[in-house]
Amino acid sequence: MKRSALPVIALCVVLLLNIVCTQYAVNTFFYEKYDLTLLFTLANLILFPLSIVIYRRGSRS
Amino acid sequence: MNEKQEERVRPSEENYTHNISKPNERKLDRRSFMKTMVGAAGVFAVSTLPWGAMAAKELAGFGGKTYPKTKIADVSAVPVNGSVDFHYPSDHVSAMLIRLGENEWRAYQNACTHLKCPVLWSGEERRLVCPCHHGFFDVKTGAPTAGPPKRPLPEIELSFENGEIYATGVKRYEA
Repeated sequence: MKRSALPVIALCVVLLLNIVCTQYAVNTFFYEKYDLTLLFTLANLILFPLSIVIYRRGSRS
Repeated sequence: MNEKQEERVRPSEENYTHNISKPNERKLDRRSFMKTMVGAAGVFAVSTLPWGAMAAKELAGFGGKTYPKTKIADVSAVPVNGSVDFHYPSDHVSAMLIRLGENEWRAYQNACTHLKCPVLWSGEERRLVCPCHHGFFDVKTGAPTAGPPKRPLPEIELSFENGEIYATGVKRYEA
């Protein structure tokens, strides 16, 4: 059975979103938009368990 | 089976998972790659935590940023179109006071918002210049006008008493 590339691509997308959210979190902090900083920090914290879920499903298949 | 082939397939006592080696096998297989990606996601998540914590602290009102009142220079000591270098609010943060007119003054923290090179005042061009990567800032607002910087220079609040100029605080970004 051929393994799907979808989980690998999904993990790449999650990592890209991580990088973007980290960048935005730092930039909005220096712009003193602290509510947006918190938003991007939370987004980053949500993306990590999402990556674990994708990994578990991908390695099972 | 010769000795070399026997060595290749014989597992060591500790290695129960990667004990089969094939010719031209990848060092980083699919599972290891995915584990690396998850680890990198974790690193980014952890790295954002301090920023979130500091932002939460500011929003909750525990920022407690108080600025000292510091004398910069005498009004008579600064010519029109001239500038004075000073440090504010601490000795580690360099700043610049610029006299644009008889009664027109501006002061900014002059670490370039691109990569923190010192920003200089060009009297001839009437603008702030970062020589490192040719970034330019508008002197009246501190906003970047050209080059790689994207954020404006933090402006310093001034007060005038008895012919002396004092720095009293750093303005919040209005954007």
